[in-house]
Amino acid sequence: MLQVKNVRKAFGDNQVLRGVDIEVKKGDIVVILGPSGSGKTTFLRCLNFLERADGGFMEFDDIHTELKSASKTVVSKVRKKTAFVFQNYNLFQNKTALQNVMEGLTVARKVPKAEALARAKAALDKVGLSERYDYYPSQLSGGQQQRVGIARAIAVNPDVLLFDEPTSALDPELIGEVLAVMKKLAKEGATMIVVTHEMSFAQEVANKVIFMDGGVIVEQGSAKQIFTTPKEERTIQFLRRVLKDYDYVI
Amino acid sequence: MHLNTQFMWETFLDVLYGIPVTLKIVAVTLLVSAPLGFLMAVSKSGEGRVGRRIIVAYVSLIRGTPVVLQILFLYSLLPTALNYLIKEVLGLTYNIFNLDPIFYAYIVFILNTTAVLSEVFRSALATVNSGQREAALAIGMSKIQAYVRIIIPQALVAALPNICNTTVSLLKSTSLAFMMTVKDITAIAKIDASFGYNYLEAYLVIFIVYIFLCSAVQGVFHLTERNAAAYKRPAAS
Repeated sequence: MLQVKNVRKAFGDNQVLRGVDIEVKKGDIVVILGPSGSGKTTFLRCLNFLERADGGFMEFDDIHTELKSASKTVVSKVRKKTAFVFQNYNLFQNKTALQNVMEGLTVARKVPKAEALARAKAALDKVGLSERYDYYPSQLSGGQQQRVGIARAIAVNPDVLLFDEPTSALDPELIGEVLAVMKKLAKEGATMIVVTHEMSFAQEVANKVIFMDGGVIVEQGSAKQIFTTPKEERTIQFLRRVLKDYDYVI
Repeated sequence: MHLNTQFMWETFLDVLYGIPVTLKIVAVTLLVSAPLGFLMAVSKSGEGRVGRRIIVAYVSLIRGTPVVLQILFLYSLLPTALNYLIKEVLGLTYNIFNLDPIFYAYIVFILNTTAVLSEVFRSALATVNSGQREAALAIGMSKIQAYVRIIIPQALVAALPNICNTTVSLLKSTSLAFMMTVKDITAIAKIDASFGYNYLEAYLVIFIVYIFLCSAVQGVFHLTERNAAAYKRPAAS
């Protein structure tokens, strides 16, 4: 369904992506792991043109395009087939939860208002926020804001959901509620690409794990393969570092 | 010392006729300057290099010179220049010296306020987190939709206190319009005073009038701000 090849991106002299390939099939849950600065977030942002890649090719259903020279129409088409969940939620501050979710339907996709309202309510109900329709973002907790962010993303029925470290800005006790929503979506068959540091999520939910470092994919495979029998030295080092928490017995 | 209260009351009644003139200058100026200033703020933060230089030069020219000087300069320059343009270049017979001087007041205050507001809007746009724009684009909105529906409403709320300041100082600056023979509040007071040298009384009267007008403007902005910033308030729970 979605295939990108040889994605390259530099910020000044800093080569952040040095040719990254990825293939995503319908229903895939792809988790991208890696130390900070490895280019995971930049890669995700290149997929919906929040960042313009310096090179690379994208095949997304009937769309075939160079990433660098993609026209306005193509960019808009890709964005309408995807939805992005941000690390910092980025909810529209001047809109209520319900309006946040409706915006992508009524404004960007010209869905009639009544239908948009029903879909927005259904999306908020799904993330467990039926009691918070008319709250502004500033009136919600971080976990609730991120769930609105997810509702905003799923309401438009995207082909692919892109998650950029969706739990990194959250208090530890709020992470659970967001992960629970994401697991639910995964079970329902959503296609997701998730950049995260939540190893348990990767282990439980992902059917494909990608380990990135230094702007390239070092290793990829099934969750089981990566977590139990990693081949590359760098993967092993990384996993040892991040999974160390689990080794301790207090 | 003795204040002529009878004169003060009569002056007050006369001055009331100047209020619409003053408010007209304020209103016309804001209506023209706000969109212009906004466009300048947007293009200044945009990509066009040449446009940005012109705007920077214009803003520093206006902000670096006293309003009084701008009035004296333009009021000396414009009528003669326009007269030359109309008679010699266009070959028309219209007598520019019959033009209501309020138009010169509009020009001076629009030039001034546009420069100030462009800076107000520029800083207000900068307060809106770039994530707001990204979220709007990511959900499929066009750049213009993102501006109109997400960024501008938030920037306006951030700009309101400064727009209020600008409006109040504009209202006060309009008192300089008497130099261009516009019959505003100040001009009427001066004319009344000149008959019997009651300047102190006349100025006292318009002191009060200006205080009243400026307070009214601030009151209106205060209410607007409270309504517009509703989304920033924590929920009553």
